[in-house]
Amino acid sequence: MSPEAAFTSTARGDRPRVSFRTGEAQYIDERKGVDHRRGCSHDATILEVVIRRSGRRSSPTTGLLIGLVITLAAVVADAWYMTRQISGLQALQTDLAERNRQDSLQLLRIQNDLNLLALAMRDMLDSDEPYPLTAWSAQLERIRVDLDDALRREAEVAVASRTPEQRQYLGDSLAQFWSAMDRMFALARDGREDEARAQIRLSLQARQAGISTMVARLLVENNEAEEDTARRVQAIYDQVQRQVYRFVTATLTTILLTSLYVIHSNRKIFAELATLSEDRRELAQQLIATREATLREISRELHDELGQVLTAIGSMVGRAGRQLPVGSPLQADLLEIREIAQVTLDKVRGLSQTLHPSALEEAGLEATIDWYLSTVKRQTGVAVSYERSGAPRPVDTAVGIHVYRVLQESLSNVARHAGVDRAWVRLRFAPARLELEIEDHGKGIDVESPRRGLGIVGMRERASLLGGAIAFSRPDEGGTLVRLTLPLDDGAVKDDEGQHSAPAPVKHAG
Amino acid sequence: MNRRDFLAGLCGGLAAGSVLSNRAGAQARRLGMRYVDVTDKAGLAFSHNSGAYGGKLLPETLGSGCAFLDYDGDGWQDILLVNGMDWPGHKRIRSTLRLYRNNRDGTFSDATKSAGLDIELYGMGVAVGDWNNDGFPDVLITCVGQNRLFRNTGKGTFVDVTKSSGLARRRAFSTSALWVDFDRDGFLDLFVCNYVKWAAEHDVFCSRDGKEKFYCTPEAYRGETCWLFHNNGNGTFTDVTATSGVFDTSSKSLGVAMLDIDQDGWPDLFVANDTQPNKLYRNQQDGTFKEIGVGSGLAFSTDGKARAGMGADAADLDGSGRPTVAVTNFDNEMVGLYRPTGPRLYEDAAMRAGIGAASRTTLGFGCLFADVDLDGSLDLLVANGHIDDTVRNIRGNVGHAQPPHLFVNQGNGTFRDSAAEAGREFAQPWVGRGLACGDFDRDGDLDLLLTTNNGPARLFRNDQIDGNRSIRFRLVGTRSNRDGIGATVRIFHGGSSQSRLVKSGSSYLSQSELPVTFGVGRRDLVDRVVVNWPSGRTEEYKGLACGKAYECVEGRGVTAMAP
Repeated sequence: MSPEAAFTSTARGDRPRVSFRTGEAQYIDERKGVDHRRGCSHDATILEVVIRRSGRRSSPTTGLLIGLVITLAAVVADAWYMTRQISGLQALQTDLAERNRQDSLQLLRIQNDLNLLALAMRDMLDSDEPYPLTAWSAQLERIRVDLDDALRREAEVAVASRTPEQRQYLGDSLAQFWSAMDRMFALARDGREDEARAQIRLSLQARQAGISTMVARLLVENNEAEEDTARRVQAIYDQVQRQVYRFVTATLTTILLTSLYVIHSNRKIFAELATLSEDRRELAQQLIATREATLREISRELHDELGQVLTAIGSMVGRAGRQLPVGSPLQADLLEIREIAQVTLDKVRGLSQTLHPSALEEAGLEATIDWYLSTVKRQTGVAVSYERSGAPRPVDTAVGIHVYRVLQESLSNVARHAGVDRAWVRLRFAPARLELEIEDHGKGIDVESPRRGLGIVGMRERASLLGGAIAFSRPDEGGTLVRLTLPLDDGAVKDDEGQHSAPAPVKHAG
Repeated sequence: MNRRDFLAGLCGGLAAGSVLSNRAGAQARRLGMRYVDVTDKAGLAFSHNSGAYGGKLLPETLGSGCAFLDYDGDGWQDILLVNGMDWPGHKRIRSTLRLYRNNRDGTFSDATKSAGLDIELYGMGVAVGDWNNDGFPDVLITCVGQNRLFRNTGKGTFVDVTKSSGLARRRAFSTSALWVDFDRDGFLDLFVCNYVKWAAEHDVFCSRDGKEKFYCTPEAYRGETCWLFHNNGNGTFTDVTATSGVFDTSSKSLGVAMLDIDQDGWPDLFVANDTQPNKLYRNQQDGTFKEIGVGSGLAFSTDGKARAGMGADAADLDGSGRPTVAVTNFDNEMVGLYRPTGPRLYEDAAMRAGIGAASRTTLGFGCLFADVDLDGSLDLLVANGHIDDTVRNIRGNVGHAQPPHLFVNQGNGTFRDSAAEAGREFAQPWVGRGLACGDFDRDGDLDLLLTTNNGPARLFRNDQIDGNRSIRFRLVGTRSNRDGIGATVRIFHGGSSQSRLVKSGSSYLSQSELPVTFGVGRRDLVDRVVVNWPSGRTEEYKGLACGKAYECVEGRGVTAMAP
């Protein structure tokens, strides 16, 4: 279709109509009249509505961006919060829990050494060993070395809550203990074992018990500190857990709201798309209808008006020529004029038939196809094999014109693009449908190509207009097979027809 | 490490472990020997009597030991089996030590009576050493109560010299013992492990349900110091426990091994303690020891736990001269394999070596390093058996009788438990306790003697199937102690070397033969043999043929022993 062609859409019922030309739009309300200067009738309302709707439509991008920003902000805020809490937790565990644990381990080591001291002193007081008290010196020295090491390590990791007095007391107590121990061994070395044993009973055991009690108290303090730390850690965990819940809730809410917004926007967009699609379809169908009406009008004008004029001219020139002497130059001129008029008349009639086959109204679809196919060879050079099958049924002109146009467009495509000079046309009358197939074995066409012509679009629109379907496929031999399938209901069949018996298939080649 | 890294590492580790395991399995060498149970054929008819009558007395679960010794000096290893006895008031049978004389044809004759050892005592362990340097090995039997020292008369008999030697009136719950010349004066001294302060009359009631008595764990008893007796060289001993620095009443000792941790030629001692830290006594070369167990890393498991140490052995596994220490422990504690990592520093490499996981469900007692397949790498043998005969009811995967371990050295620092491959009879579950090795049939490889608690002793003959050979040395000291205990023998061949320490004791309650055995594969000769005697003398021999046993007499050279 030419870009200059006018697109006209007829709305259903009393809807206004709109038309526009390429590059310019003009809105004319049908109730205000038809602008014949523009060569078409218009209904502005649909497009106006579409344009207004398009202008009003708000993009969902902004909403989505806002949702995204909110979500990202929540994630960042939560990550920051989590990081802070984890840092706090880490600090607690490192500074308090871990240090406390290490301190407790050393205190337990000290306690163990003190217990070993107690056991050794018990053995020293027992008289069942045949050894002098000095025999224990190496054993006690090992304990002392380990105890000193444990004390040194404990001092390094002692919890902050340990007071200087406590540290001092522990160190002093142990120093006093070992001093007493040394004195005891000095007595033993001097052979004063009874006095040495008395020292153990009276002094060393009491000192050991006192130190052990103090270490036990420190362990209890550490345990309490551990419990306090555990409570704080638990509080942090609880806080983090609550925060996670809050974050998840907020995130889910944001996602939910955003999703609802997207759904709402999508529904609006899809509704508008559907409306636009419907409008486009109406526009296209109206265009086709208008085109047919225009062509029919022009055809009629050509046939009725111009044809009559040319016929009259031919008759009048013929009558005038007969009144002139035979063989006179004027008669010859008149005869020539009459022949020109006749040729012109034939051309006008042919053009009229091409624009709109009047045979369709007069003789029906089958006859029109017969007539058209008989002209194809002559007009395009394409030899057409035609096959008709099924019981013919009279087809309404409004339907038949579209079938005719599809046939016309298809054969035109064969002539222009297929590169072959042979085509096959098959018309089948099924009980409830009509099938028209146009097949060639030429180059074929790519119906999915975005550069496809308007002819294919027009054929589809025509099929759609009739509630039928059109399919383009590639036969095994190559080329193109156009298959138009139309439902034949009561509306598509002429009322005064339908008495046909099922004839045998008709075949002929053009 | 985050969770993803951990999981990735774990999966990777598992996958890699699986692959490596498969690869190791694929590359594992076929075991070139078999252990054949020849107990009955050899004529050993011994059954240990724990004296158990239902009183659930602590010593019942722990005995007893065994020894390979050449008591008659004929060059053939005889066998001594320690026995317990019925408790007073619960007499049922008479059970004594058993001495089996080697008939040199694969069989043994019971020489207990003729040797004067037909004595009832509640024996635990045995240590063999020629403490009077008369050329015949003497025997110490550790007991619950009074230990007994038997002097070998050299005429096929033993005389109880406990009293005259000064070891009398020392009652304790003694376990493992060894002879060691700790001051290198040429006379073997005696180290005795004591377990806990226990006596039948002071037995503690322990129970699982508060009603029925059960065997107590050592925590229920006070520890007992080990003893060190100095050999005065005149047939008497002096207790130097206190003055030597080994006195420690916290110890609950079951196993002892002699080793030289710093290769200074002075014997050190490793003591395995039950639920107490192991002890490592470093010889200070002045008659005293310094205990450095904690500092050396030998006292605890890798997680700092004092395990239930039972038996112990030490040997040079990599030819470096630095000994590796093996310690058997309770089930779920794994065998400890302490590898030297630095001067007097050790690390438990059992897991890495493939021994830890394999020994997780076994309770080990006797253990010893021996090159069972004579391929030149020391393997590790472990006798297993639980103390609780109802343990199966409590822990389904642990039995009272347990198969021994034979950890075959793969030559790359890892071991593979090949007990099943060594023979169906050998891999049977036993309530194993003592374990000793010796070449009783003089075919050059190391046979095995295993004692079971309240059950028979088993003799497993080592049959080589790959044609590997050994070279063996029996040391005779002249300036050093007669047995050469404390001497180091090192052989050099093909750019590598192996060393053995002549030692008494080790394992659990047991003693292996004193001659040392080197596996040399299919070599015909060793390049060099160097002997470092305790006296300080070093001797070197070259071009010795393999597949033979040699006698090295200090200062007089080496001679091949008659086949």
